[in-house]
Amino acid sequence: MKNIKHFLIAPTLLFFITFSLLPLLFALGLSLTNFSLGGHAKWVGLRNYIWLFKDPIFTGSFKNTVLYTLIGVTFQYWLGLILAVFVSSFKKRRLIKLMILLPFMLPPLVIGFTWRTLLDSRFGPVNALLKIFGINAINWITNPKLAFFSILVVDTWQWTPFMFLILFAGLRMLPKEPFEAAHVDGASAWHSFWDMTFPMLLPISIGAIVLRSIEAFKIFDIVFFITGGGPGNATSSLTLNGYFTALRSGNMGYGAAMSVLMLLTVAITAVVLLMALRGFLAKPKRQGEIALTAYSTESQASEGTNLG
Amino acid sequence: MDKKNTLSKTLRTVGLIFWGIFALFPVYWIIITAFKQSKDIYQGPFLLPFVDFQPTIAAWTKLMGPSKDQFINALTNSILFASVSALIAVLLGSFAGYGLARYSYKYGNMKNNDLSFLIISQRIMPPIVAVIALFAIFSFIKLLDTKVGMILVYTWFNLPLTVYIITDFISRIPRDIEYAAAIDGYGKIHQIFRITLPLAMPGLTAAYLLAFFFSWNDFLLALMLTFRKASTLPIMIMNLSTTDNPQWWFISAVGIISIIPPMIAAIVLDHFIDRQLLSGGTR
Repeated sequence: MKNIKHFLIAPTLLFFITFSLLPLLFALGLSLTNFSLGGHAKWVGLRNYIWLFKDPIFTGSFKNTVLYTLIGVTFQYWLGLILAVFVSSFKKRRLIKLMILLPFMLPPLVIGFTWRTLLDSRFGPVNALLKIFGINAINWITNPKLAFFSILVVDTWQWTPFMFLILFAGLRMLPKEPFEAAHVDGASAWHSFWDMTFPMLLPISIGAIVLRSIEAFKIFDIVFFITGGGPGNATSSLTLNGYFTALRSGNMGYGAAMSVLMLLTVAITAVVLLMALRGFLAKPKRQGEIALTAYSTESQASEGTNLG
Repeated sequence: MDKKNTLSKTLRTVGLIFWGIFALFPVYWIIITAFKQSKDIYQGPFLLPFVDFQPTIAAWTKLMGPSKDQFINALTNSILFASVSALIAVLLGSFAGYGLARYSYKYGNMKNNDLSFLIISQRIMPPIVAVIALFAIFSFIKLLDTKVGMILVYTWFNLPLTVYIITDFISRIPRDIEYAAAIDGYGKIHQIFRITLPLAMPGLTAAYLLAFFFSWNDFLLALMLTFRKASTLPIMIMNLSTTDNPQWWFISAVGIISIIPPMIAAIVLDHFIDRQLLSGGTR
């Protein structure tokens, strides 16, 4: 029975080795060749990587991907948190919850083509709405700056429910007593949010943000369907660029190098981030506990005065 | 204070209504688009059926007629892959999650934290890195464009997420409950299956829900590892919309169908989570 722990984790590790580790090593090898679909492979050393740094399309998609992640996740976190707090104050909330979760249930492709028709400059209802306010047709998809903004809006529309789902579950797991005590003591909703809810929720918040950022960095589907990376290279993301290079153009070697570089960036960022967070994560937990004990002693004190 | 409460209640309601319009309008748009025809789309946006435009079921008769075989194949594949792979991912994820939460591992220099990080790091890895190689491996062992292959891929795809969520939930459940069960004569396996996992049920359901969604919504993996036999609904939609004149009404009809299964799952699972959390055994 001592060995049960190895059996518990073995299947997961087996999946890791066959589906992640071996393919990764394969991709590493591929990235050092000029292999193309239907062609021969020749060893080229690090030449693919040197080209990548001089490739404006690659550096452009790199910048876009970072911006999608930073701006998108920030918006989605705050909106998700606001929605979670709003909804948890309602009694009959099942329908509201499902309404909020609905966009997240849609396959990204459906989201892609729906928003492409919604934002269409001639036939789309968004411009029709603006026309009522006397605003002329806006090229949401063909203007480079606006196209980037449009992708961000769609990304937020799609992923805020994910944040909401996790944060709402987190809110429900918080103990009820300190909030009741605070309410009895006359603390405003605003104060009990910043003094208790937010710090107590912070570990879950950080988990949600990390998870979402990882997903955001791989943004592909909605860009693929709404703009195809265009106009020019204005909205292209790393995965999109890798897909076009490796499978559409068939430059498997160059595409593999691209994906390896992408992986390296994410891995380094993630390690640095997680190391920083480990220290940071301890703090809010303590803060949450401090808030808890502070309120419980306070409420005891007030009970004492009531008795007296 | 009463006045303040009504004010914030109004604020909340208004905020939720605005978000509701933002969230739901695109869904309404897909639904009405599925009942349009060419001229209803290319003569300006029409929003109200029977008022703006005359609804037609042309898209739906096409779906059940000429395109039926292709559609049914894609639909059954999508359902099969998402539900089975999510189940396996939750099962294996709870084993690993339990192990990571309750035991100390030491493989070489790797301890629990390193193992957890290794597992979640697969989720960090852009799938495109693995998929290029998986394509080669799958074609070698003849798993390309097969149901078994896709279920395995989606299990792999979701396993890091389920392990992450379930480890977190199990580590919140006090060990004392298991000790008490051990005193009552429960063996380790029974402790896991009869005591700990039922208590972690909200976590398991949340993990299942997310795993189902991620498989169902996946496009990249299906795009690269299937051609025809194991194609899913997203692939069918892509094939339809990359033609010269995309028939948005027909695509919308397929889109609507592809929304329904995750919606049913969400409603059922949401009900389940609500009940489980209220009776929460850990308190």
